[in-house]
Parts: sequence; C-alpha cells; structure tokens
Amino acid sequence: MTPSALLVVLLLAPVAGMAIAFLASLSGGKRAAVVAETAHVVAVAAVAAIALALAASVLTDGNVLAVGSWLYLDPFAAILVALIGLIALLTGVYSLGYIRHDLAAGTIGTAQLCRYYGFFDLFVFTMLWTVTANDIVMMWVGIEATTLGSAFLVGFYGQRASLEAAWKYVIICAIGVAFGLYGTMLVYAEAARVLPDPGEASRWTFVVGHAAAFDPGVMRLAFVFVLIGFGTKAGLFPMHAWLPDAHSEAPSPVSALLSGVLVNCALFVLIRYSAIVTPATGAGLPQTLFLVLGALSIAVGSLLIFVQTDIKRLLAYSTTENVGLIVLGFGIGGELGVAAAILHMINHSFTKTLMFCGTGNILMKYGTRDVRAIKGLAALAPATGAMLIAGALALCGIPPFNIFVSEFMLVIAGLRAGYGWLMVLCLLLLTATLAALLRFIGGSLLGARPQGARPGEVGTLALAPMLILLAVVVMLGVAVPQPVTRLVQGATGVILRSTPATAAVAAPWQPSWRQQPN
Amino acid sequence: MTNLAFAVILIPFAGAVVAGLSPEPLSKWTAQLFALITFAAALALAFAFDAAGRPSLVLDLVTFGDAVLLGITIDPISVLIILAVVGVGLLVCVYSAAYLSLENREHPDRGRRSYYAWLMAFIGAMAGLVFASTLAGQLLFFELTGVCSWALIGYYQDQSSLRAATKAMVVTHIGSLGLYVAAAALFAATGTFALSAIGQLDDTMKTVVLAAILFAAWGKSAQLPMQMWLPDAMAAPTPISAYLHAAAMVKVGVYVFARGLLAAGAVPQTIGWLGAVMAVATMVYGFLLYFPQQDFKRLLAYSTITQLSYIFLALSISVFGSPLAFEGAIAHVFNHAFAKSLFFFVAGALAYTTGTRLLPELRGILAQAPLIGVGFCAAALAVTGVPPFSGFFSKFAIFAGGFQAAAAHPLLLPLLVIAMAESVGSFAWFLQWVGRSVLGKPSPKVAAAIPLPAAMQGVLLILIIMTLCSGEIAASWLGGRPS
Amino acid sequence: MTGLQLVNGLASLLIVTSLLVIEARGAAQSALYYALQSLVLVLVFLALAATVDAPRLFAWAAIAFVTKVVLVPAIMYRTLGRMSDPTLAPRRFGLAWTIIFAAAVVAVCFAVVSAIHLPGAATLKPALAISLAHFFLGLTCIVIQRNLLKQVFGFCLMENGSHLTLALMANQAPELVEIGLVTDAIFAVVVMVIIATMIRAKLQTLDVGQLTSLRG
Repeated sequence: MTPSALLVVLLLAPVAGMAIAFLASLSGGKRAAVVAETAHVVAVAAVAAIALALAASVLTDGNVLAVGSWLYLDPFAAILVALIGLIALLTGVYSLGYIRHDLAAGTIGTAQLCRYYGFFDLFVFTMLWTVTANDIVMMWVGIEATTLGSAFLVGFYGQRASLEAAWKYVIICAIGVAFGLYGTMLVYAEAARVLPDPGEASRWTFVVGHAAAFDPGVMRLAFVFVLIGFGTKAGLFPMHAWLPDAHSEAPSPVSALLSGVLVNCALFVLIRYSAIVTPATGAGLPQTLFLVLGALSIAVGSLLIFVQTDIKRLLAYSTTENVGLIVLGFGIGGELGVAAAILHMINHSFTKTLMFCGTGNILMKYGTRDVRAIKGLAALAPATGAMLIAGALALCGIPPFNIFVSEFMLVIAGLRAGYGWLMVLCLLLLTATLAALLRFIGGSLLGARPQGARPGEVGTLALAPMLILLAVVVMLGVAVPQPVTRLVQGATGVILRSTPATAAVAAPWQPSWRQQPN
Repeated sequence: MTNLAFAVILIPFAGAVVAGLSPEPLSKWTAQLFALITFAAALALAFAFDAAGRPSLVLDLVTFGDAVLLGITIDPISVLIILAVVGVGLLVCVYSAAYLSLENREHPDRGRRSYYAWLMAFIGAMAGLVFASTLAGQLLFFELTGVCSWALIGYYQDQSSLRAATKAMVVTHIGSLGLYVAAAALFAATGTFALSAIGQLDDTMKTVVLAAILFAAWGKSAQLPMQMWLPDAMAAPTPISAYLHAAAMVKVGVYVFARGLLAAGAVPQTIGWLGAVMAVATMVYGFLLYFPQQDFKRLLAYSTITQLSYIFLALSISVFGSPLAFEGAIAHVFNHAFAKSLFFFVAGALAYTTGTRLLPELRGILAQAPLIGVGFCAAALAVTGVPPFSGFFSKFAIFAGGFQAAAAHPLLLPLLVIAMAESVGSFAWFLQWVGRSVLGKPSPKVAAAIPLPAAMQGVLLILIIMTLCSGEIAASWLGGRPS
Repeated sequence: MTGLQLVNGLASLLIVTSLLVIEARGAAQSALYYALQSLVLVLVFLALAATVDAPRLFAWAAIAFVTKVVLVPAIMYRTLGRMSDPTLAPRRFGLAWTIIFAAAVVAVCFAVVSAIHLPGAATLKPALAISLAHFFLGLTCIVIQRNLLKQVFGFCLMENGSHLTLALMANQAPELVEIGLVTDAIFAVVVMVIIATMIRAKLQTLDVGQLTSLRG
C-alpha cells in the first residue's frame, strides 16, 4: 500500500473501532463487551503498526501527502503519529485490565465499558486528525474535537469530582480554543491576501512557503491568540488550571493519553504556527513568549507538586512542568534547543505514561489516590513498585533514564545561547521536583507492607505495557536509536526551515554530538 | 589495558543485575564474587600500567567531529584511586555480608537483595567516575552515585532514614548544577566536553568552569555550605557509611576538583583563594562540631568533613605552585579511604556486638575485644596523622607543600596555621576518646558483647595493616617509583 | 443605505441581542434570544454577500440559518428549558452596569481594530470591531456567570463572534472550512448540554460556585 493510502487507513482504523464499540454499547451484556474490547485492540494495534510504517517511510522516502493535499506527514508529524500510535496501543491494552477491574468491582456496567472503548478510539482518531491535517483550520477543528472527544472520558465515572473536572475541562478548553480560532483566522486572512490561489490559503504547506510576505503586525497578534489558544490545550501557564483536575479524574489510561500525547498534539499545532509566524516577524516575539511562559510553567509546576496529596494531581503538575521545559526549548531556539525540545516531547510521553499506568495499579490495589494512605507498594506488589520507583527516578531527570538526556541537551543549549541564569533557575526548580518525587517514593513506595492488604500483582495486562514502557525509557536514556535521532533532526529542520539538521540528538555518551555553530 | 578499565566499570553493573535477581541468601555471595573479580581486574590494570611504563592514556570513547562526549583516562592518579575504591568496595561487600544479619544487635536485618544490587551499582558508578575523561561523563556518574547513595541511605526504610536519604540526594543534586554549568560553559567555549580542553580556555572562562566544578565538589564532599547532609546520612547501614560517606562517594567531589585543576594547567589564583578559604572555614566548622557529638558515627561524619577540607586545602594550595601539595592531597584521598573505613568498621563492629553506638556507653573495648580496640586506636592515629600511620605522610606532604607555597604567598600562612591547629586539636580530642573508650574496664554494654563474626574480624585486620602501609604505597606510586 | 452601512448597522444589532441573551431569565428565554441573534447574523452574511461580492457567503448564510437559528436553539430549548435552579440568585450585576461594560468592550475593540493594519477588510472595520467585542462579551459571560447554562450561551456568543470575523476576513475559504467550524460548534454545545444535564442530575444544582471539590 502506498504511504498515502496508509495515511488514510491510519485515520479510518480508530473510527472503525469506535463505531463497533458504540454499536456494542447499545446492546450491552458480556458478549458486547468482548466485541468492543476486541475491536478496540485491533484498532489500536493497527494504528501503532501503520504509524511506525509511516514513520519509516517518511525517513526513507520523504514527506507524505494524501487525499489531495488535505493530509500531510513530515518528520515532525511522523514523530507525533508514532507517539500517538505507540502510546494508544500501550494504554489501550492497559485499559483492558483496568476497566475490567472496574467492571468486576461494579463501578461501571458493560454498556459503559463499550462506551469507554468507543470514546477512547474516538479520542485517538481526533488526535491523529490534528497532527496529520495539512489545513490550519482543520488543525483547529481537530484540537477542538480532541476536547469534545475526551470530555466524556474525563467525566467517565460520573462522580461529583469527575463531572466538575469535565465541565471545567470543556469550558476552559473551549474558551482557549476559541482564541486559537481567532489566531487561525488572522493567519488565514493574510494568506488569502498574499497567496495566488485563495483556495489554498489554509493549507499549511503553502502558507509556510509564503509566510515571509505576511504583515508582521497581524502575525504578531495572531501568534498571541494562537499561543493563548493552543497553549490552553497544552497546559501552559497561565491557562493550566483545568489540567490537574481533568488529568486526575480521568481513568488512568486516559490520563496517560491526556498528559502524554494530547499536550504534545497541542504543542505540535503551536509550533506549526510559530513556523508560519517566524518568517514574517522574526524569531523575537515567539521565542520571548515561549521563554517567559515556559519558565513560569516550570515554576508553577514544580512548586505546586510539593503540596499535592493526590498522586495523579502530582503527576499532572509534573506535566505542566515538562510542557514548560519543552516550550522553553523552543524558546531557546537554534538547532540544539529545538532538537532538545522535540526529544523531550518524546521522552516525557513515555515516562509520564509509565507513571500514570502505575497509578492505575495503585488505584486497583489501594482504591485511593491519596499518597498519605498509600504505603509500602514495593513490598505489596514488587513489580509495580520497582517500575514506579524507576519511573519516578526517570521523571526526576536521573541517568540512566531518558529525561536526563533531553534535560541535559536543553541546559547545554540554554547556557550556550546565553540564558545562564534562567537555566540555573530551572535546574533549581527541577531539584524541587526531585525532592517531591523522592518524598513520594519514600513515603508510598518503600516501607513496610500495610496491614490487611492482599499481596500480589494486579495482572499481566496491567504489567506488560508498563514493562515495555520502562524498556523504552531506559533505551532512550542509554542509547537513542538511529531512526529516532534522524526523525528528530528532520523535525528540527522542518521547524527551523533549514536543511536536515545536524544537532546532536543523543545521550551525551553517544556518537552524534558535534560542534554547533551558534 | 583499556579493556581492563572497561571491565572494572562494567563488571560491577553486571554484578548488580545478578545480585538483584538472585534468591536472597545467594545475593550476598554473588556480590562478593563480583567485587572480587572487579578488584582482581583493577589489580591487573595497575600491574599492566606499571609494566608498560605508566603511559598516561586518554581514550576518547564517544566522539563526533570535534566534540568528545565520553572517554576514559588511565593515568597514575586514576589507577591509584581505583585501587582504593574497588579495594575498599570488596572489603565492604565482605563486611556487609556479615554485618547485615539477624544477629546484629543494633540493626537486625536479613540483608535484602536490593542492598547488594545498589552496592554493586555504586561500585560501577564510582569506577566510571574515576576513569571519566569528560565533564559530561563526570556528570553522568556523579548523578548515578547520588541515586545509589539515596537508595542505600534509605535502606532501613524508616521515615528518618528516608528523609536523610532525600536530603542527601537533593543537596548533592544542587551540587551537580555546578557540573551542568561547567559542562555547558566548556562546550560553549571549546565545542567539546573533554577535560583536557579546560587548559585551552582563557582565564575568565577557566575561573568560571573551575568555580562551577568547585561548587559541585563542595556539594558532593559535604563542604560548607552544603555539608548538612552528611551527618544525617549516618542513618545508613554502617558499611555504607564507611564506603559511600567516607571512602568513596564523598571523594567524588575532591576528585573532580583535582581533575579539573590538573586539566587546567595554569589555574587562576582566584580559585586557589576561594578553595582555600572555604576549606579552612569548613575545617573549623567541622572541628567545633566534634565536641557535642555522642554518637560515634556522627563524630566520624564530622571528622570526614574536616579531612575532606584538608584535601580541598591542599588542592587549593597547589594552585599557588606546589605540586607537593597536590600529591599530598591525592595521597590523602588514598590513605583516608582506608583509615576512615577502618574507623567506621570499628563503629559497626561495636554496634553489632554491643547494640549501641553512643560513645559514653562504650568503655574498655580493648579488654573485651582486643582486635576492635586495636582497630580503634589505629584508625584514630591514622586519621589524625600520627606516624608511623599513613595519615601522617600525606598530611606532612600537604603541610610541606603548603609552607613552600606560602613562601611566595604569605597570606596563606594564617590558613595553614589554622589547619595545623585543627590537626593538633582533633588529635587531642580523638586521643581523649581513645582513653575513655578503649582503655580501662569494660562498661556493662561492652561486657555483654557477643563475639564478632570472622569475616568482620578479617576485614578489620586487613584495614589495620593498610593504615600502616597505604602511606608508603601512595607515596611510592605517586613518586614514580615502581611499587 | 449602502451595503456597507447595512452590514455595520446589523452588526451593532448583534451587540443588543447578545445583551438580551446574557440578561435573559432562564435558559428558555436565552435560547429564543440566541435564535434571534443568529437570525441577525444570517442577515449580516446576506448583506455582506451582496456588498463585497462573495457568493460563497450565501451558502454560509444558509448553513448558519439551519444550524444556529433552528438547530441549536431547539436543542437548548428542549433540553435545558426545563432545567432551572431555584437556589441561584437572579442577577449578579445591575442591567445598567452590564450595558456600560458592553459599551466599554466595544470601544476598546474599536480602538484595537483601528490600530492594526488589516489590508483585507479595511472598510468593514466597524463590523470587525463588533465581532471582536462580541467574542469578548461571550467570554465575560462565561467568566462571570454562575449558571452553567448561561456559560454555554456565553460560549455560543463567542462562537458567533468568531463566525462573523471569519466571514468578514476570510470569505473565500472553501465551504468545508465553514462546515467544519459549524459542526464543531454544534458538537461543543451538545457535549456541554449533556454534561450540564449530568451535573444537574447528580448534584441538583446548576451553580458553578458549587463545583469546588477540586482545589489546589
């Protein structure tokens, strides 16, 4: 199958899964549940496989266009697609064990189970749409659709807190994304004015090509709107208020998708826009805004982590912090900064997913998210405990895990670009996170087994995805594979509009660092 | 030779995995086995190095273009220090196997696999650091030793040790910021992370990079202003206190500083003054805090702080043109490793046999357990620098070098005088403890002591011998004569 | 009057109708006022289509009529009309203050729009300013309203403002774009309505002030 056809199938697969699951939910009952689960697993497995194939194809054969020029895949989009595919597969499989546990406990019924998988696949579809769309308005539609598609997942349990979280999520993101629409329209208007064929004025590939001719004032205004809009979806300060609520109330696999993948999709769109704005206005405004908001997000995230007693809210604030780091990388700019930011997107996805799946296990074992009530996990469920300890250490930025590599690259890039004090401040804030996470490990994971709890694990379906995630986290920390390096370099080139980048995208001990011109 | 160096770094990590996965009764034996193999490899490396005429090698492992990311440096200093690190590591493994048992009266414990796994990982991380030839490599292993230390301090898993572990990790992590800054500054200026590139920097950049390294060194070696984590880290099992927090991990700081100075060639005097003044301040601070200490291990912790300040002082003095001071510093790193571990092992032996580590309750040790008593004396004399014990030789070299440098820089004299005063003062204080605890009639707790396991006795004996010999070994090795 | 004057005049009518929506008592009344406002919007599209010779806008007007004048208000009326929360205090701010505030917002938006250089839509700047004001009025409605349903209407107002801006600035976009936008808006309203219904059922209140169990 040609890459173009594959791209279409990529989008259709989750739709099929969703349709079958929703149909199954209408009839309810055990058999419907099995049908929904099977359709879902097939769909996410297909998405993962096709995503990897497409990523490989982009590396070897170049960018992919499909459905005329409505869909587009370049190295940057290929990275996002691969991330969505892999994380959807791993969390999708994890969901099986997790949701069955809820079913067995009587929290939900079989019809609701089917609806879960329906919404899950819908959510995956909307994210894939967002990153493969070549039309700036369709990107916006995709982002809005991700909010709508995941709203019912956030409010899945129908409890007071979940409904509150769902409402805040929908309202705040709808507001934010409405700002994004304004930005989109300003860009479109400029493009329609400048481009020879106005019908193409919403195609990203064409818009980017002509961006230098746009009016700088309009573009600056557009960028501010876009930053507010898509920054809201990414959980960037000061639009992050919904994130801790939504990410903590959603079922754990969905939290992983929200924190690990959705924020990356929002950042993806934001960066696509900055690629349009920069030729018109110069890099000054985008980079300054990125630096300021990124640094503030890191500060808010790392300081608020300290006072959290709910483990998932803690992880959600960690997401805000890491989004701040990514945006900071884009703000630093240059080949090394941008490459570090993209690598951090990848690294954070896998690590955060690992942690959220771990909290899923915690919930299944202890029935609570309160860290003061969770004790001695490593003694109770050794495999989960060990993987959570590794994941938490990874999240702190300790070698030999992946986050150390991208943080190191980021700091080097920042210090080299002259942001010495800012980098030192960020390192200190990250130390605060380190302290908070170590406190969590010591207080909840280590220590004696609690009385009256049944020792043992929560099932292979919940452990196998975590093990794979941990393996990826370690692999990316020790030796970033060549294809990943090349994809990141390609993406950097796309963003900076230069020839294939040569930035060092690797652990400091791997053979691909080279002297960078400033 | 480089293969032997790789072996020394990688075998312990393999051992960590094996020890971590073996069934619990076996893991202590697998750990000791791997530690023995690693030590054998280190010895073989030393001999091969010597036989080859001691070429100083730097092997760039991972480079691209002009930037070196990771490399190995084999020279007299790294070989000497690796022998200390791995040698004491082996002794620690053997000692731990006996110490972590249910018969231990202070801390009965099964000796879980995680202990041995983290211990082996630590040995590997230390080896990696000793051989690292780039700032990026140093940073990597700096952090790795930090996380191993965290895991081991918190081994008993009660709230106070976990808090102490977190404090240690956080403070040393703040120190690591120094290495981040140094690495970035070096890369920005020269395009590589190799330590050797420090020599190419201009004076301002050199000061920046070396000051940043010094900051990191203070953090890891528990010097002012980042010293508070070390006394609290005494919550760790005693073999860990001996190894990490006396012989090895705290030496990471002085080691990276020494390497930085060595690579820089002509060092700006600012660094010398900065290092010397802070070293003496820490020395005085540590000394003053001897007096209230009743807990044996906390006293030893403050003693470690002051001994490390000696080394910092010596390294800083070497900036003013005294290679003798530099050699004295390295020799002191070597000697102190054995002397302090002996002291800690003595404390551990006392805790094991009597169930207490409060000095006022420990009297008449010599009468009850002669070996422990002799060990106590030997350690005290070695640490405070009394001939013929090892500490004397390295301290002598330090002071000799210091007075040499002071001839040209008279402002150094007050610092040296304070250091000498401290030396005399700590000698007096430790002598006082020797008199109270070692001699005389056994106190009730000591009289009720159980016998010491053979493994621990063996280790004590070996270390007592080392406190007599290590001075000579270090001096001859550094002096260039074949050992 | 000229086409431009018609467009600009109708646009100011939008502000009036949005104030009606904000100030209406209860969801049913708001739904009706919203239908009215959308009708005005459709008229603006028609006037615009004739004035600037953008035939696509006729199709837009038709789509907007079906969705915004008929469909959405119907959904709102049917589902929300029955919902009320007697515990909610009627009005936070006096009517006078609301009008003054709206006028201030419009003035600011006029200033902003005249300051930026918009080569494509220079003659339609008043309408553009109003659409921007509309957007922010909707935003304000969401932020200050305590009633969940009113927040939904606030969103609809924002959405109308964006729609008008799009028509003014980008009227040559392919229909698919407008369809995408409108579909999205409908789905957003549907989702919000469903969640609001669930909240009403579970919590017996529509007061946003009650949704405070998540803090910090």
